Amino acid sequence: MADVDTSTGVDGSTDTTDHRRRRTRNNTLRGRPPVAWLVVGAVLLGLQAGALASFVVGLLADSVAVFAGGGPLGTVTTLLRAAESTAQSLPTLLSRDLVSNQGYWNGTRWVGTFLGLEPAAAWGVRVALVYLYAFAVAGWAVVGYHLYRTRYRVADWTPRDDVIGRLRSHTWGIFGLIVVFMFIVMAVFAPTLGPTTVEENMRNSYEHELDYWNADTGEVETVLVGEANLDSQSRGNNAERVLPFQYDDYNRFHPFGTLPNGRDLFTFIAAGSRISLVIGLVSVGLSASVAAALAMITAYYKNRVDLGAVLVSDAIMAMPQLLLLIMLTSVLSNTWLNDIYSGGFLLAIIFAFTGWTYMWRSLRGPALQVAGRQWVDAAKGFGQRPSMIMRKHILPYITGYLLIYGSMTLGGAIISIAGLSYLGLGVAPPTPEWGRAINLGQDYVRTGSWHISLIPGLLITLVVTGFNALGDGVRDAIDPQSDAETAEQAGRGGGA
Amino acid sequence: MSEPPLLAVEDLVVEFTTEREVIRAVDGISFEIHAGETVGLVGESGSGKSVTARAVLGLLSSPGQIKRGQIQLQGTELTESGWDDHRGTISIVFQDPANSLNPVYTVGDQIVEALKIHQGLRGRTATTRAVELLEDVGIPDATARIDEYPHQLSGGMQQRVVIAIALACDPDILVCDEPTTALDVTIQAQILDLLADLQRDDDLGILFITHDMGVIEDATDRVNVIYAGEIVERAPTDVLFSRPAHPYTRALLNSIPGRTPPDAQLPTIDGEVPTPTGPASRCRFAPRCPEAFAACENTAPTHISIDTDTATKTPVSEEFDARESTVEQSSPSHGAGANEAATRQTNRSAACLLYEDSTVHQQPDSQ
Repeated sequence: MADVDTSTGVDGSTDTTDHRRRRTRNNTLRGRPPVAWLVVGAVLLGLQAGALASFVVGLLADSVAVFAGGGPLGTVTTLLRAAESTAQSLPTLLSRDLVSNQGYWNGTRWVGTFLGLEPAAAWGVRVALVYLYAFAVAGWAVVGYHLYRTRYRVADWTPRDDVIGRLRSHTWGIFGLIVVFMFIVMAVFAPTLGPTTVEENMRNSYEHELDYWNADTGEVETVLVGEANLDSQSRGNNAERVLPFQYDDYNRFHPFGTLPNGRDLFTFIAAGSRISLVIGLVSVGLSASVAAALAMITAYYKNRVDLGAVLVSDAIMAMPQLLLLIMLTSVLSNTWLNDIYSGGFLLAIIFAFTGWTYMWRSLRGPALQVAGRQWVDAAKGFGQRPSMIMRKHILPYITGYLLIYGSMTLGGAIISIAGLSYLGLGVAPPTPEWGRAINLGQDYVRTGSWHISLIPGLLITLVVTGFNALGDGVRDAIDPQSDAETAEQAGRGGGA
Repeated sequence: MSEPPLLAVEDLVVEFTTEREVIRAVDGISFEIHAGETVGLVGESGSGKSVTARAVLGLLSSPGQIKRGQIQLQGTELTESGWDDHRGTISIVFQDPANSLNPVYTVGDQIVEALKIHQGLRGRTATTRAVELLEDVGIPDATARIDEYPHQLSGGMQQRVVIAIALACDPDILVCDEPTTALDVTIQAQILDLLADLQRDDDLGILFITHDMGVIEDATDRVNVIYAGEIVERAPTDVLFSRPAHPYTRALLNSIPGRTPPDAQLPTIDGEVPTPTGPASRCRFAPRCPEAFAACENTAPTHISIDTDTATKTPVSEEFDARESTVEQSSPSHGAGANEAATRQTNRSAACLLYEDSTVHQQPDSQ
């Protein structure tokens, strides 16, 4: 890549045409596709091909099943299910089976774990592999973008380059990006990361067995998972409590300790992160689309349309949000909506319903500004349709703001979801949710089982901070002038 | 001039309703554009030039509103049928090319966007046509330029691209709203030449809006001088420059740099354009007019046809100055339309009491 820079800068010519020609010529000279980059991509993809295939096929099968019910599409569903099981049998690097931490001590060595390592080490290897893989994919994407920018893109500079440059030098934003990325990886790889599974450890614990080394009898014995859980409960200062990074009496390793009901806290949190992320993304996605569509429509048509939207959003904002959330969750709790995704979908809709107003308010200004630009008039002048003007000439300018407010709202949504499940509303048990872990542990905060509330609490704080930091970073990157503005606001807030 | 005009604007009134007042930015403007001719609209900032352009294109944004009048495009009344079916027949070139191009799309994309709508071209044919258009507007190396973003082009090039987009709509009329104001003088001349060439090739009618009298002299066939929302004088360009009739036009011409002797101070017009808030009850230029007399303060002048020869007579203003007004308080709006229609045929008219019917103003002893 260095040679590109020197070859374009060598004669110091600033004429764009020459520059462009040279760039094109260089491309034809160096016309090879980025083979190495593609090979690395294929290898990375291949490592997880099985998981990816089974995910895609499974998603297809699920959606077909939802829409088809029985009928002629029933056979399609069956076929897809068959394909799904085939896909599941494909090997993947990051699977629980390949790097297993679930084994037992037979008196002399560990049986059933990865390379005979002790479970903690095997689990650590798996987590490290997952994160290594994730960062490798991210790095691969970054390198790909860089290749495209320096070698294949026609324009040598676009305004976006500066945005990315500013984000890269924004330490706080990078911190947020890393936290958010790790949170997303946790959500995506939740089943792989947990030392055990939700199915085995929580949902159907009395249908699964495990082998363990019984120290009293000096033999390997078999016990139901549910019964083992009963002996690993963390309830205050009891002797059986399992603190973070400890083994319970059944040779099981608990990175974050256990819950008061003996279940594994890390598995709970990993699965809960997926729920939080999905609900958060769906709700932010919904409210962002409503807000963006409305912002463009009100900016384009102004006047009465705008006034109507202001009235509606003011009315919604005037209602106390938490009370509204509680009311809607309980009123709608017996409807079919509440059955989708353990009530998570209902939560997402409710958050979207209350959340779009704030986002629309934030987008309205920028959208109005863009709608007043001359190229919008020019497009109107040559007869472009209003919907196309909004999509082509207004939307690109508010997507940046969508990113910022989306990122910040996502943090807020995660807090709200946790808050609701802390109150016993929202996501139905036994589906894991961070807020419920805090609720479960709150009686033991001042006892020896302090970890139950503390760890999820810290994680929520960290993740939400991460989302906000990312939002800050993106905002400063998109609009460098906004820095002064926030400082001013902060000053005002301090004075008041 | 026997064939019907491409565009006929008749008694156009545009009002901006704000909470404090109603501003009449355009007050009863009428003009026509025929195929192959360039009609100028000249006036200072705030005189209503751009509002007229936007009204003609149906681009007025709230709170601006067409209150009265007709805009006929090739016989279709646009204020009734709406602009949507006639987009492209009339295209606009805005003042600031950097702002009329969307910075996130390549110039090719933006030309193709217009081509898609107006000529139904897609894919490779559209790109080929876009390259042709760029060549037509005089952009060298068009095949390469088509993939560039607006910021990679100079101001003059950008304005050429804007013109190419306007041409992609295959227009009959081009409205140029100060197309050369943001450009330096050499580029300005090139753009004017380009417009003239295009006009010759396609028999375009051009409405040329500017505040620059020099540009008007170069580029237009006929001129309408606009002041505070009203056209105060209309004349063929050469006549306007050689024998200006309205005091405002004379003042404007006097204030062109380079026409005064080198050591003399450049004359200016004191004061500024008033903001019209209702129907005119007097001559709006009167407070700034060096030739105003008492009647100007209470009578709104209507357009008087001026014979090209007689207009050369010395304006009779001095005779009016000392005299107390004996003008009847005739309502100016009565019969204005009929008067307008009649005067437009003669090609030359001015809205000034200096040329008002002599029976009204002139007293026997003035002969």
